[in-house]
Amino acid sequence: MPVMPAPDPTGLPAPVVILKFLSVFTLTLHLLAMNLLVGGVTMMALAGRKRQTDPLADRVFRRLARALPVTMSMTITLGVAPLLFVQVIYGQAFYTASVLIAWPWLAIVPLVMLGYYGLYICQFRPSWLGNRETIVAWLSMLAILAVGFVFTNTWTLMLAPSIWKYLYDAGISGLKLNMADGTLLPRYLHFIVGAFSVGGLAVMLLGRTLKSADEQVSDALQTAGRRWFLAAGGVQLIIGFWFLFALPDRVRNAFIGGNMLDSGVLAAGIVLAIVAMAVVRRMPGLAALLTGISVFLMVGTRHRVRQISLFPDLQVNNLQVNPQWALLVVFVAVLLVGLATVAWMVAAFVRAKPKMAG
Amino acid sequence: MNYPIWEVPMLGGGMLIGIIAILHVFVSHFAIGGGLYLVLTEIQARKTNDPDMLDFARKHSTFFILVVLVFGAVSGVGIWWTIALVNPTAVSTLIHVFVWVWAIEWVFFLVELIAAIIYYYGWERMDPATHIKVGWIYVVSAWLSLFMINGILTFMLTPGRWIETQSVADGFFNPTMIPSAILRTAVCVALAGLYALITGTLIRNDEARARIVRWSAKWVMGGIAVLPLAGFWYVAQLPPMAREISMGGAPVVTLFAAGSILFSALVVGGAFIGPYLFPKHVHVTYAFGLAIMGLMATGVTEWVREAVRKPYIIYDYMYSNTLRVKDLGEYSMSGLLTNAKWERPTEADTKSQVRVGRRVFRAQCMACHTVNGFNGMRFAVKGWGREFLDHQILYLNELKGFMPPFIGTDEERAALVEYLLTLNDTEQESDVAAAPAEQKGGL
Ligand code: HEM
Repeated sequence: MPVMPAPDPTGLPAPVVILKFLSVFTLTLHLLAMNLLVGGVTMMALAGRKRQTDPLADRVFRRLARALPVTMSMTITLGVAPLLFVQVIYGQAFYTASVLIAWPWLAIVPLVMLGYYGLYICQFRPSWLGNRETIVAWLSMLAILAVGFVFTNTWTLMLAPSIWKYLYDAGISGLKLNMADGTLLPRYLHFIVGAFSVGGLAVMLLGRTLKSADEQVSDALQTAGRRWFLAAGGVQLIIGFWFLFALPDRVRNAFIGGNMLDSGVLAAGIVLAIVAMAVVRRMPGLAALLTGISVFLMVGTRHRVRQISLFPDLQVNNLQVNPQWALLVVFVAVLLVGLATVAWMVAAFVRAKPKMAG
Repeated sequence: MNYPIWEVPMLGGGMLIGIIAILHVFVSHFAIGGGLYLVLTEIQARKTNDPDMLDFARKHSTFFILVVLVFGAVSGVGIWWTIALVNPTAVSTLIHVFVWVWAIEWVFFLVELIAAIIYYYGWERMDPATHIKVGWIYVVSAWLSLFMINGILTFMLTPGRWIETQSVADGFFNPTMIPSAILRTAVCVALAGLYALITGTLIRNDEARARIVRWSAKWVMGGIAVLPLAGFWYVAQLPPMAREISMGGAPVVTLFAAGSILFSALVVGGAFIGPYLFPKHVHVTYAFGLAIMGLMATGVTEWVREAVRKPYIIYDYMYSNTLRVKDLGEYSMSGLLTNAKWERPTEADTKSQVRVGRRVFRAQCMACHTVNGFNGMRFAVKGWGREFLDHQILYLNELKGFMPPFIGTDEERAALVEYLLTLNDTEQESDVAAAPAEQKGGL
């Protein structure tokens, strides 16, 4: 019998479906932002290589550099919400896995900070930097990719209660990456290649908004963005199947007919992604919408993988519930006011005409 | 005891949290006060048609986002990361009791962040009135996020009626919540001034620099002026034992409490003598010096706030080593290792009393003690013999008010004594004691 910590005696503050929905929904937002970040920073780093010889590549580099710090900011902030909910529902597994993996997990903090400052350096180009932005861009990219890798380590270790006590008894210094796990590599690649694809789509859409400002950069971003979307999307399909077949039988079976709902959600996610690729040239807006829905379905699938993997050691549907309805209502009210405020600010910003073009 | 332990060599988990937390506090309070400073400075500059001041506000806002959006936000995530690694059981309680409070705080944080970004990128683009409005949205949402977090932080020291009622409102609106909110707000204002002195002293134009440096000094002095009264109120609300610890009961803590007052006084004095009286002649290194004094003041104050909570992590509810007060009776009967599931001795352990003792040490002591480093056991038990050790452990909480009671069977206590003896006597040093974190092994 694996060691599983006891659930928190306080109980869940709302029925578990509500918490699961919030968890999946906010994680979708986090991962979409993460996709723009990972895709964007990679494209920027690659554009950087040609900057010296190709002035257009330099302009592309600068345009991406201007967009990325905000993207990083959104990735982090939108990550906080799912971090809250995963602790509420899956704390027993989450805390355990993160303690076992403590140092790499903690390294996320300085890595994010380095990556983030690197992005600001690329945007602001301080004079002492000379011509070295490309190096900084690469360092930022590597830091960000490393962060994703640690995340995948923790989220997969979380699914393997049977090895926790064994790892713990082997040492308490918190250095246990989950490298021996067969799902680790395909899962990580699935997230990163997916990010290249969705990030490409976003870059393409960014290019469209620049038509009047800078025709050349606009064209370059659109072409490159669409290529990334399609190429990485194609590779993603293959990696997805690799990942599916790397899963333990018991888990995989649910998605290949064992459970009709699970299989349906996964199939719908795949189909929507393919349709999005098919229509991207003529209807980019629709492609973006379909991609967003597809990511949401995939995050739901990811959640189900967790639930099935942890059965029967941790059954979140059986956790005790002590609802705090009044506070939930306050939260929803604050959220609505907050979103309205954000909408107002963004509208005010967009409405205001930039004084200088470009 | 419900979760595995992570050994942080030399520093210990508590110290690691402390370092990150102090840096975060120093920046995050600036995030709030600094926002107010920017908006008021912008308003003032536009009202008096002062291009130098406006230019300064714009430059200061670049500094502001680089410090606040990056270091402030990421170090905040860093605290969450660290406390969840060092004390998952306590974090789990805070998360479960206050889920919706955290969620509400997150909304404020999201608004705050987007307001900061729009304010920053909106200098050229937006008309002044709208720009200032966005600034105010930043200030209000940033302060509200402090207000929410403050309720949770103060709950740990003074959970108040929550202990009986388990009502979130009682826990949030606890006895120290309001005085602490006032204290923190005042600190925000003072820090806004301290940071602005750094950028302010760099202004080239003498006239403008003098005006802005003096204006910033007023923020520093005004903020700190509020501290004594609010601090008095805060201390009056503390549990008696916590007050005692800070005022003589534990010499080191008292020393630090005195340090908190001293450093704050140095900051006010320094701000008055330099930037206020001679604003033209203040060099940026002086401003840095003041900021470092401010950091020291923040550091020792936070340290004292943590220290007076001993032996609890959540007062009257959970001990520092994650034992819940309500479980005390039951665990005393059934023993420690049957309840601390991660420390169930392995086959190999059962053959050695010392190894069992080390398990007891991990489960019950390592939340606060390291072996060789900060608050290290090797130093604590130096020269202690077997009987003395046993007596100390048996009456742990009575002999040392800031420690929780020892729980465990007679055999478990005997095993712990054997383990501690190995730390004590270098002659007997066993492989276990010499390298408690060895066996890196694993995967
Ligand atoms: C450079 C920045 C980041 C990158 C590249 C990144 C990437 C990722 C990836 C790839 C995953 C999915 C991993 C998997 O399932 O195998 C993930 C999940 C997650 N990330 Fe991030 N992340 C970043 C920053 C953050 C930050 C700063 C936070 C928290 C404040 C965060 C919170 C989360 C959470 C909570 C999940 C999973 C939630 C769940 O399983 O329910 N991320 N992230």
